[in-house]
Amino acid sequence: MTETQSLPLIEFRDVVKNYKSEAGIFPALKGINLQVERSEFLGIIGKSGAGKSTLLNMFTGVDELTSGEVIVHANGESISLHTLSENDLALWRGRTMGVIYQSFQLLPMLTLVQNVMMPMDMSGLYHPRKSREKALELLDMVELIEHAHKLPAYISGGQQQRVAIARALANDPPVIVADEPTGSLDSVTADHIFQLFERLVQSGRTIVMVTHDKGLVPRFSRHIEIVDGELLPPSNSPLMGENHSFPLRGKVGKGAK
Amino acid sequence: MRPRWRKVFSDLIDNKARTLLVVFSIAVGVFAIGVLVGAYEIISTDMSVSYAANNPSNIEIRMSDFDEEFLHTLGNVEGVEDVEGRWVFGIRVRPLGSDEWTSLNVITIDNFEENKINLLSPVSGTAAPEKNQILLQKEIFEDFDVAPGDTIEFQLSDQTVKSIVVAGIVADSSTDAIDFLAPPLGYITPKTLRLFNEPEGNFNRLYATVGEGKDDEDHIKDVLSNIKDKVEKNDYMVWRAFNSKTHEHPLESTINAVLGILFALGVLILFLSSSLIANTLSALLNQHLRHIGVMKLIGGRDKLIFRMYIVLLFAFGVLSLVIAVPLGGQGAYALSEFMGTKIGFELLGYRIVPLAFIVQILIGILVPLAAGLVPVIKGSRVTVQKALSGDLAREADEGGEKKESRLESFQIRAVSVLADRGIRISRPLLVSLRNTFRQRNRLILTLFTLLMGGATFISVFNVRVSLTEYIQVVGNYFLADVTISFEKLYRINEVQQFAMDDPRVTAVEGWAFASAEILYDDDTVADNVDILAPPAESPLVNPLLVDGRWIAPTDKRKLAISESVYDSYPDLQAGDKIPLKILGREEIWEVVGIFKFIGMEGTIAYAPYEYIAKETNVVNQSASFRIVSDSHELEVQEELAKDLDAFFRDNGFQVSETSPGLSMLNEASESIDILITFLLIMAVLTAVVGAMGLAGTMSMNVLERTREIGIMRAVGATDFEIIRMVLVEGLLIGMISFVLSILVAFPFTYLLSWIVSSATFETPIAVVFTPVGYGIWLGLVILLSVLASVIPARGAARLTIREVLAYE
Repeated sequence: MTETQSLPLIEFRDVVKNYKSEAGIFPALKGINLQVERSEFLGIIGKSGAGKSTLLNMFTGVDELTSGEVIVHANGESISLHTLSENDLALWRGRTMGVIYQSFQLLPMLTLVQNVMMPMDMSGLYHPRKSREKALELLDMVELIEHAHKLPAYISGGQQQRVAIARALANDPPVIVADEPTGSLDSVTADHIFQLFERLVQSGRTIVMVTHDKGLVPRFSRHIEIVDGELLPPSNSPLMGENHSFPLRGKVGKGAK
Repeated sequence: MRPRWRKVFSDLIDNKARTLLVVFSIAVGVFAIGVLVGAYEIISTDMSVSYAANNPSNIEIRMSDFDEEFLHTLGNVEGVEDVEGRWVFGIRVRPLGSDEWTSLNVITIDNFEENKINLLSPVSGTAAPEKNQILLQKEIFEDFDVAPGDTIEFQLSDQTVKSIVVAGIVADSSTDAIDFLAPPLGYITPKTLRLFNEPEGNFNRLYATVGEGKDDEDHIKDVLSNIKDKVEKNDYMVWRAFNSKTHEHPLESTINAVLGILFALGVLILFLSSSLIANTLSALLNQHLRHIGVMKLIGGRDKLIFRMYIVLLFAFGVLSLVIAVPLGGQGAYALSEFMGTKIGFELLGYRIVPLAFIVQILIGILVPLAAGLVPVIKGSRVTVQKALSGDLAREADEGGEKKESRLESFQIRAVSVLADRGIRISRPLLVSLRNTFRQRNRLILTLFTLLMGGATFISVFNVRVSLTEYIQVVGNYFLADVTISFEKLYRINEVQQFAMDDPRVTAVEGWAFASAEILYDDDTVADNVDILAPPAESPLVNPLLVDGRWIAPTDKRKLAISESVYDSYPDLQAGDKIPLKILGREEIWEVVGIFKFIGMEGTIAYAPYEYIAKETNVVNQSASFRIVSDSHELEVQEELAKDLDAFFRDNGFQVSETSPGLSMLNEASESIDILITFLLIMAVLTAVVGAMGLAGTMSMNVLERTREIGIMRAVGATDFEIIRMVLVEGLLIGMISFVLSILVAFPFTYLLSWIVSSATFETPIAVVFTPVGYGIWLGLVILLSVLASVIPARGAARLTIREVLAYE
């Protein structure tokens, strides 16, 4: 076991994020302290405007913070995300983190297999032939191998989201961050996506997902609620009490329902 | 193919309209530059090679009749290599069955096989005519079709009409090269002279080449001076004398100047097309923001994304080269051929000009790279968050906030003030107005392109009128309503009497001529000058004086001289005296006035008939008459010229040529029109670039507002309203550019007129403005705006609400 493996995977230390607007300064995150352990499926629940997307952007380093620190202990090193340059961060993110959005964010001019190959191409970790083989494997895993050479416009929303998941897994990242990944999908399709996530967690990956849907709480190994930029203490959360000890393993997926 | 390059390839081929717009924008500029660089290279090489290949005379003297014996003595003048004498006379010709006469100067060449100066190049048929046969210069084709073996009719000065067989067609790049208004030429042997009732054994033109210093103007002038000395000492009269270099076509500097002007316009087109590229590329990068965001999210670094878009720019450049290089090569050759035909020189054959090829490739690659560099750098450096939110303007962090721009608050205030006063602007119009100014940088670039196109277009029309007016003014130095030249001197009274018999004739003037040399203080020759001698109080000459006064009847050894005298005497002022060699004597003459003229036509001067006629022993006589009629219309002049020609011939006068005044002006204007045609082609190209800019802007605007259009349709906007909204926006941009064009056309007209007139006339001319260019451009701008908007507008109106709102 390396030294970093004994540490939590992600640490938020007093993370503050303020936005300036014509009305004055708006605090979106008010001193967040949070730890994400390895192999957990963490749900961040909150209403619209609660700060959950801002919090997610702190995980990915996409948005800058006002104060505090986000540290990721992965791949044998500890990185304070917001000290990296935009370029270094892009490279680090490509290799360490898979990101999934509600609107899929596939490149419309590329086929599904090319979309999945893209992170491998960008990171330069794989030979083009190898990256193609791996992309096909991932598409097979998300049960889309027969559509591999179609453009995103010719498959359904649920299928596009599965491609986005395959793309997020392309570089074998230890963490997957998902922003309302089932938000624009019907309940059956959303359930399929969840099953996929649960399998990934079972295989040792860490998933952080934000959602406004409290009904999804039972499917997370742990969840936290964000209200007005603050994480609610477990006792204040009306949902707490169900899954409050973490990390919880083996209680997700079909068997946990 | 790696996904990143697959994406670049898709970007290139997926949006064909956009790719074509960018590729054509680059291609227009590359084509224009390719044509001009190619033509410049071809013309400057071929013109001098083709000119020199025919061993052009360095010296030409038009003089009184001389014989073979005197010609031989001229061959011994110091510095002379070869001399040839030729007999030149004017006739009128027409093809059989036609009743339209064309003027032709016939040159008698002693021996077609052995002549050494001003060689002819055969085009078709034989190059050496037999007795009673004629060779025709190929320029005759501009007037009528004729082939070797055909018979043509000709008319002599005594009205007799005879016929002669055309033995061949030839090209002659040397004879009369200096004078592109001269009539076409015919060539016969002395044996044919009798057919034309012309005397044998005489010459009236001397052509000479110099032994060394064939391209040394001073040396040639010295030799010319030696010849003229000898001619005048032997009591011959010199009417006009010319000197030219062997390897420089007399019109080369003019052609180069014209190409220079066209080149400047080519650069302008290139500049405009690059602003169009910048516009399109920044829109493309805007559309690709989300893609850039995704790529950065999954590991793409600035450098990698920068490289992808640079490759895209490179591909645009290569595609434009595929179109522009072959077309540019063809265009360069076509332009050179056109110039060659007009000026009278042969091209060495079609070829690729390496310089033009290299310049085109450099421009085709570098221009899109340069124009796209800023948008690409900006696009590749955008942060993931800004890219994914698709809003470059939004400041996401504490650093800033979005405020109304001054223009936006002005619009809002203006609308509310108008509304308070009961003036309501319809909502769709308001949307159009607001949309017009939304993408300000794009609007500025579009306006700039349209504005430059418009201003150039309008200026070209103004310059055309300025040039024509100037030719009219300059034409007044020589021309009356009808000019009649006789083969010999006639008493002025006699000609006046005959001419005044025609009730349309109101005045007749006989003019005299003399040739002189302007000398420097050390007696070397500075320049040749033709002295025209109208009656001092002639109402026919309205000079544009730049200094001093016009000639007076009592003037002795005084002249008014054209501006080109400044080349020899830069500080000359009215009242100064200059040494002149006239009629074989060195004299000191006073310059009483300096006037504007066409510099390339050489230096001319005016002295009163009263003095020159006395000095040349032609008092009360003349061979050249100016006739004034009661009407100055071309039709009336033509009719009068025809009647007077017939009348004088019927009465036994030996008429050489009769020409209506305006027809010669028209010929001069035609030459100017060639230049104007090229300027117009360039103006149209700038207009095309402008139109492409507007079309690009409108389609980008509509594309970016697809979601808004969907919302408008969802709240009840009809197809008609959507189309009208886009059309109004396009028209508004067109009209703003038109108003700005009107203003910018003023300095443009002055600048273009100065450049063109300095190149063609070697003197700046007065600028005249015409509403024609403004009118045509207004019509064009309206048409272009509608065309540029209608396609995107129809496209927008056709989208269903579902498609629009689902648009990603």
